[in-house]
Amino acid sequence: MLAVDGLEVAYGDLQVVWGISFEVPEDSIVAILGPNGAGKTTTLLALMGLLPVTGGTVTFGGDPLLGLQTHKVVERGVVMVPEERATFASLTVEENLELGAFTRRARSAVDETKSEVYEIFPFLAERPTQRAATLSGGERQMLAIGKALMARPRLLILDEPSLGLAPIVVENTFRVISTIREKGVAVLMVEQHVEKTLDLADHAYILEMGRIVADGPGSRLATDSRVRDAYLGL
Amino acid sequence: MSRLILQSAVSGLLVGGMYGLVALGLALAFGVLKVLNVAHGELLMLGGYAAFFAFTLWGLDPIVSIPLVFVGLSLFGVILYFTLFRHVTRLALGPRIKNSLLLSFGLVLVLQALAVRLFTGDERTISTAYSSDAITIGWLRVPVVRLAGLAVAVVAALLLEWVLTRTRFGLALRATSEDWTRAALTGVNVGWVYLTAFAISAGLAAVAGSLIGLGYSVSPSIGLGWTLKALIVVVLAGLGSMRGIIVAGLFLGLTESLAGVWLGGEYREIAALVLFLVVLSIRPEGFFGSAHA
Amino acid sequence: MPRNWPAVVTGLAVLVLAVGIGLGSDNQHLLTIAIQTMTLAALASSWNILGGFAGQISLGHAVFFGLGAQTTRELWLGGQPLAVSVVAALLVTAVFAAVVGVPMLRFRDIYFTIGTLALGVAIFLTVGNVRPRLTSLTAEALREYDFSGPYFVTLGVLAVTVAISAWLKNSKLGLGMMAVRDDEEAAGATGVNPLGHKMAAFVASAVLAALAGASFAYFTASYYPSFAFSVVWTFEAILVVFIGGMGTITGPLIGSVFFVVGRDALPSSIQEFQVVVFGLLFILVVLLLPGGLLEGAQRLIRRRLKQGKRSSSNEGTTKSKGKELV
Repeated sequence: MLAVDGLEVAYGDLQVVWGISFEVPEDSIVAILGPNGAGKTTTLLALMGLLPVTGGTVTFGGDPLLGLQTHKVVERGVVMVPEERATFASLTVEENLELGAFTRRARSAVDETKSEVYEIFPFLAERPTQRAATLSGGERQMLAIGKALMARPRLLILDEPSLGLAPIVVENTFRVISTIREKGVAVLMVEQHVEKTLDLADHAYILEMGRIVADGPGSRLATDSRVRDAYLGL
Repeated sequence: MSRLILQSAVSGLLVGGMYGLVALGLALAFGVLKVLNVAHGELLMLGGYAAFFAFTLWGLDPIVSIPLVFVGLSLFGVILYFTLFRHVTRLALGPRIKNSLLLSFGLVLVLQALAVRLFTGDERTISTAYSSDAITIGWLRVPVVRLAGLAVAVVAALLLEWVLTRTRFGLALRATSEDWTRAALTGVNVGWVYLTAFAISAGLAAVAGSLIGLGYSVSPSIGLGWTLKALIVVVLAGLGSMRGIIVAGLFLGLTESLAGVWLGGEYREIAALVLFLVVLSIRPEGFFGSAHA
Repeated sequence: MPRNWPAVVTGLAVLVLAVGIGLGSDNQHLLTIAIQTMTLAALASSWNILGGFAGQISLGHAVFFGLGAQTTRELWLGGQPLAVSVVAALLVTAVFAAVVGVPMLRFRDIYFTIGTLALGVAIFLTVGNVRPRLTSLTAEALREYDFSGPYFVTLGVLAVTVAISAWLKNSKLGLGMMAVRDDEEAAGATGVNPLGHKMAAFVASAVLAALAGASFAYFTASYYPSFAFSVVWTFEAILVVFIGGMGTITGPLIGSVFFVVGRDALPSSIQEFQVVVFGLLFILVVLLLPGGLLEGAQRLIRRRLKQGKRSSSNEGTTKSKGKELV
């Protein structure tokens, strides 16, 4: 579904991503793992059109994705939940969800999508008028994912969804991600939480210093000595 | 003496309504685009002249020509956005504010000089049939033209607030104000939001200008003075509700007027300046941070 | 022999030339242009001390120019000797700047700039209220008006301003200012007192602006007092510094010559629109300033050059690295 080939991204003179290639097939969960500064977030922002790309191609469903303005990328069905502050703190839960369905495509099915989202996150239905700023970290993460789902994505991109969350919330979140995959939405996630991610992902890539150093099905990588050496937490 | 104070208070409130109206546009441009347009007052001035000529050439009452003036100067705002301010929005927040400030500083000079050439430096006031009418409450005199200005200001603020809170477009504006990256990721066409916000900001300035032409006067050099008042109001109100801005405007007008009674009318500007510096030092976040963490 | 002796020699040569013009020329137009250039150059140099050396962008600079002008004018036309009037103007401005600087300089970056803008506009409007009438030399003085007096006074003002700027730039105080400009926190950490240096720059810049204002008051036959406080002076000073080069000594001078001569050389039909033309130029310069489009364009060019080098040559990496230090 998403095919990235030889992607290069630079911040001014500083090249951060050195020609990486990966793909996200339909109905799958793909993870990109790597230490801080490896270029994971940079890659995602470049896919979303927020950073200029200096080389490579990206296609989504066969059509080129690079060079599109961000809101057009979202319109195509690629929606990203950024790492921090993914919700609008000054708006209410309901307003955040409404805003999530901003694109024309999503707008036409707002009510239907909202009930789907409420199904996945029942607690959101209980407090539509609560300001997002007053939600707990885990609740806000749920709202962020719910908001992204309102855009009716075909590919959902998650930047470190477990960041700053308690383990039980992380488990919850990952369960939700699995549910999302079952609903026919492909997932690309960037994570530092190696063990749980490798359990969840169908396929994973290891990104180090802007280059992909290993990739394979989640279960195989979990036993790969390179990965174990690099990430002591395994 | 108390008659003087009361009359001054009333005058202060009336002009304060104008301060609020001018500040609405400035707050919108700054809140959404994070761009500081000090040429806002020049847009006001041009709006005033537009209303003036609409009146003298075609007999259009300035209240009636408000929609016309709004649309006309909004279009001018679109031009300014495309040629100038759009480039500045490519920068990060700090350089964006600084460069837009400098940029619009140059624009002030350009527009002022053009206005002097086109309109001459004379002061103009729109004199309608009701220009000298006033509502009298005892010995208190409330000029109708200025009261009309205050009324329009309140209506504009309520209208703007309605748009911001009850429409999809307003939601997009608020989201972009909070964080344009996040808004883009949500599917908001940020470029379009910037454009329309700036255009509306210009239109609001122009409407204020036509009311000022009606109730006070316009001349090519009035721009910076009004921009300054708008800045003070925006800092006073913090970037929050539109209603808060009108209230802050009234407060400024009142304070300024009463200070004028005490210090002598010629030193009113100093009072406003002191208020500005005091507020700016106490709550700078009211200007640049969001009201929420 | 100072390190930059070519500059000093050129400067002296220009000085000699200027003196020669003053003594030898009868052309009123030329003398007027020269005086205007020198006044602007002095004002721009004074702004440069605060903006270029200390990095604080002030949009209210005209306040000090005007204060210097007004104080000088009132005392001088009131019967005081010129020298006394000027000294008084400088003192008044120094005190005013010190007092105003205390709250102003507590603001950082953009807040400071907005604060100075507010100051400038408020003072301008107040002066317009408080001194609305034209100030003119007496008819007798006008009849006897001789350009050489103002010419040499203005030249002297410019020379003093440039000398002080140059001294400051190479002094410990100046270095401290530039450290504050480049990174205020880092400067503080190395023992440089940011507020003290900013205040020094603020007052020095104000006093020199007042000096320029004094020469303006001495030269100009008649004007409205608020004109000396007009934002146009601030604008021209900044424009001239931007064009000529911020933070340099010669920048404001070159920029002033370009500006005044250029303005004078405009065909008379456009001359009426001179402010418009230079305003547009100002806007263009802002758009192209570092941190703006120009830096973006430069980076793009450099990256293209590097990509070209990388693909075309694999040997001699040290050579290409040296070239990349552009």
